[in-house]
Amino acid sequence: MGSFILRRLWQGLLVVLGVTLTVFVVTRVFGDPVSLMLPLTATAEQRAAFAHEIGLDRPLLVQFLGFMRDLVALDFGNSLWQRRPAIEVVFERLPNTLLLIVAGLGFAILASIPLGIIAALRPGGIVDRLTVSLGLIGLSMPQFWVGLLFIVIFAVQLKLLPTSGMGTPAHLILPALTLGLTPLARLTLLVRSSMIDELNQQYIKAARAKGLGLSRILGVHALRNVLISFLTLTGWELISILAGYTVVVETVFAWPGLGLTAMQAIQRGDLFLMQAIVFSIAFLIVLINIALDIAFKMIDPRINLN
Amino acid sequence: MSSASTSSLPLALSGGTRLAGGFLRELWHDKPAAIGLLVILLIIAMAIFAPLIAPYDPAAQSLIARLKPPAWLAGGSWAHPLGTDHLGRDVLSRVIWGSRATLLIGFSVVLLAGTFGVIVGLWAGYAGGRVDSLVMRLVDIQVSFPGILLILLIVSVIGPSITTMIVVLAVTNWMVYARQVRGIVMSVRQTAYVEAAEVIGCRPGRVIFRHILPNLFSPILTVAILEFTNIVLAEAAISFLGLGVQPPATSWGLDVAAARDYIFIAWWLITFPGLSIVATVLSVNLFANWVRITADPQEREKRFARAQAAKRRRARGDQATVPAE
Amino acid sequence: MNDTFRRVLAAAVFSAGSLTAGAVLAQSITIAIGSEPSTLDPQLRDDGGERQVNDNIYETLLARTPTGELVPSLAAEMPKQIDDLTWEFTLREGVTFHNGEPFNADAVVYSVKRVVAPENASEQMAYLGTIAGAEKVDDYKVRITTSGPDPILPSRMYWMKIVPPKHAEEADLAAQPVGTGPYKFVSWNRGSDITLEANADHRDGAPDVEQVTYRFVTEPGTRLSGLMAGEFDVIVNLPPEFTATVPKFAAVRGIETSTIILSTDNEATRDPRVRQALNIAIDRKAIADNLFLGYAEVAKGQLIHPNAFGFNKSIEAYPYDPDRARQLLAEAGAEGSTIELLGESGRWLKDREVIEAVAGYWTEIGLKVDVQIEEFSRYLDRLFDMKVRPDAYFVLNSNELFDADREMSFAYEAGAGGASNSEKELAETIRAARTETDLEERSTLYDKLTAKLHEEAFDVPLFNHQDIYGMSARMEWQPRVDGKLIVKEMSVAE
Repeated sequence: MGSFILRRLWQGLLVVLGVTLTVFVVTRVFGDPVSLMLPLTATAEQRAAFAHEIGLDRPLLVQFLGFMRDLVALDFGNSLWQRRPAIEVVFERLPNTLLLIVAGLGFAILASIPLGIIAALRPGGIVDRLTVSLGLIGLSMPQFWVGLLFIVIFAVQLKLLPTSGMGTPAHLILPALTLGLTPLARLTLLVRSSMIDELNQQYIKAARAKGLGLSRILGVHALRNVLISFLTLTGWELISILAGYTVVVETVFAWPGLGLTAMQAIQRGDLFLMQAIVFSIAFLIVLINIALDIAFKMIDPRINLN
Repeated sequence: MSSASTSSLPLALSGGTRLAGGFLRELWHDKPAAIGLLVILLIIAMAIFAPLIAPYDPAAQSLIARLKPPAWLAGGSWAHPLGTDHLGRDVLSRVIWGSRATLLIGFSVVLLAGTFGVIVGLWAGYAGGRVDSLVMRLVDIQVSFPGILLILLIVSVIGPSITTMIVVLAVTNWMVYARQVRGIVMSVRQTAYVEAAEVIGCRPGRVIFRHILPNLFSPILTVAILEFTNIVLAEAAISFLGLGVQPPATSWGLDVAAARDYIFIAWWLITFPGLSIVATVLSVNLFANWVRITADPQEREKRFARAQAAKRRRARGDQATVPAE
Repeated sequence: MNDTFRRVLAAAVFSAGSLTAGAVLAQSITIAIGSEPSTLDPQLRDDGGERQVNDNIYETLLARTPTGELVPSLAAEMPKQIDDLTWEFTLREGVTFHNGEPFNADAVVYSVKRVVAPENASEQMAYLGTIAGAEKVDDYKVRITTSGPDPILPSRMYWMKIVPPKHAEEADLAAQPVGTGPYKFVSWNRGSDITLEANADHRDGAPDVEQVTYRFVTEPGTRLSGLMAGEFDVIVNLPPEFTATVPKFAAVRGIETSTIILSTDNEATRDPRVRQALNIAIDRKAIADNLFLGYAEVAKGQLIHPNAFGFNKSIEAYPYDPDRARQLLAEAGAEGSTIELLGESGRWLKDREVIEAVAGYWTEIGLKVDVQIEEFSRYLDRLFDMKVRPDAYFVLNSNELFDADREMSFAYEAGAGGASNSEKELAETIRAARTETDLEERSTLYDKLTAKLHEEAFDVPLFNHQDIYGMSARMEWQPRVDGKLIVKEMSVAE
């Protein structure tokens, strides 16, 4: 187990290195940070001074090493927009994003299991058909569109929930629902199809024949076997939400998380803040992957993780 | 889908045209999938013949005909069946032209990423050893990249355009294919007939083309179709955020973004482009579901068994839960 | 929607008490602004979000009435000009900052020195321009010096907020603003909102609204949703289409004027007759009515803002006369020639629509129009490129200082800003007017300048734009001409 975690950490390090390299190449080689970040009215001297400050006048390799060194120290430079360390902004906004994700994905997880099981109990039945149809529709709706519809219906027409921002628990409901909809659809479909497979297995049939209660069969036998694929998909959903779909939902609901901040950083040409955000997210994704692998190993020690 | 087909299993035996005919007949039994395919074909036709079908130039503005509602509402007229937007542009024409951006980006990315991914996967799977572990490590690393966020960063630095979007999406989406192909190649190579072919000295090219590629076709097709929906949704999201397709070009995501300021007085502006995205993705999903099941012998058997079970239940008179067909 | 159903649904969705914000404190309001302040330091950035908040916390020596007239604020009276480079301000006595620090000459001298200090690189120097320094005469008398003769120094002082010296040295002004104004800082939830409360000790008495919360909402659509759902009391930049939809709205002539600057050197637009034709070809009234639904006024034949010093009252708006325009083109032999029209999109209200509409009118009189809509930074590059001038470019000018020099130096002074001509004499007159301290003489100079610019049609003045605010039904407020959100001028109807 120890060597396994070590190997995963090493691989995580490679991921972070890969992201670093990509960001470095994109911003320094393809893009011109000076013209991107300084206002157009900046004088030639101001431009030169800024280029010197961020080390653009040094050879590329030296720049890259300096870039890496700063990263290790979590020094992403000052956000041009907020005039304070970029990482400070990240730490301030990250909890908001995590709260939104926990609520949205938590809702998806909690709702998908019963929905999937109910649908699986009678494959081809009306509940099953309805679940599958709604699931497919859920998978097909762009989140920004769903979010806008929610705002119009629940906030403006019914005046039940606030339209945007955060503050009270009520503010969380619409963005979390919007964010959770796609994972809910995918997880429900997964639970349903794995459950159908499981319930057709001989041992389940045997258990049923022996007169074991349905809830016990579901809870103890079938569900446990579904767990691994359920966890894998949940992890994957978590990562794809972190990697970008929060940006969309946070923008629609003006939720002050990392995603909205990323959009604002882009609009203001604040490259340093954007870099800090991309790195923090990459780092989180690595951690999540490692945590998932460890969880798998604990659930089923036979799994070969290499 | 659950409205299962009862058509015959021995499909593998039939040849060329009979095979296609069989597929079509089978598809016809799965109504949702058939409708899905029909809608996809319609959308493709819409994109190809946009200049002929669209009643107006999608960029043509008319200041006096702004924010007109769809024809069936008070104040609407059949001159603009789906109404006009905040610049007086015809919504129907924009929806029709918008399909072009969506399909162009979707197909290009799937083709580019698919080709590259398949080649890399074949190479890694066939070469094995160090090449394999190196390539797969690269795949693992790139899979863990923060996808859309990184795309946003890249696009904001390089500048948004359709080309940028295609390239960036392809570069960030090839890994799925590589992984899948590599896995299949590894397992196929261990089958007796490929081992035999290698032992008798067939050239690698021949082995790949004769023995390995045919096994790849249906799984890759399934992956590609599903990936297509992901790309369509990603394109819409990025365009919605303002970093994708740029005006005066049109895209459904872009139109929803432009219309959000007007949702209270012109609901049709977000509705129709949004529904177009849903219709496209949903149809592809329905069709993909059928393809996946049809291409997988195990799934076919399950489907068959399920259909039989349902039949038996019906025969028992268990009508309460199964609606009449 | 059925009321009972709504209540049931409300109970089902969320059972704990009232859901939507507002109506908790009768005298507390929420204002949705477009961007979060980058800092709350009132002296460093040129940041609209920061101004919208700090305009209520801090005060300046001179202020403007809602209609734009300059009046004393922290100064006891209007300043006296001692010589070309020196102005003397007498200060109001008995004013204290929110933290108890006294307001006096030291505070003014400190504030002036802080904002002009080169190491602070304040972006506000764009407004404060000529200010060089300040010296204390006695506790309530200060002299402010300029680097050159500056007749509009009083207008500039309306942009300079006075900070408490001790607090500024010891604490973090960027996060803890302390001023003399009618509102005191309470809290800043980064990314979400800022709250201020009424300063009961203010010399004008406690303001009507007891607490104000600023919410940062970038998207106009989201701001509108919030207003419709009853979460916001005031939102900025309401599109004209929604004046009929929102509970209440108010419009006021703002400080922005749109125009199209013509190049007097380029082949296509060299002939004054062509430039005049371009002017009278456009039905400005139709655009103002259809596109802006009446919330824009046809500009009075000049770019100078009607509220600004130097506005020429004797110039009339260009008429709409397409026949005469065709005739002028024929006389100049310019029928069918091509004119490039540079513009941008999304930066200003309905910019693209205006550009397209103008291009349409020009096409109607028989010109070919090459519309080039560029991304904003690329647009600015071309606008400031002095070597290659576009034949025509669309721009929106805002006049924060209420003085004609703003428009003159940006649009017409050859070699500066975005001017598209090379007339040396014109540039010299503009510079002379800038430093002329005799107001009557200065006014005469501007009248001459505007008459020439109109006569020879250096540009195509379009509209004086209005600012539109959406408000909740309970709000009582008449917006100001300078676009500032001064909360003490607002009240809530019960």
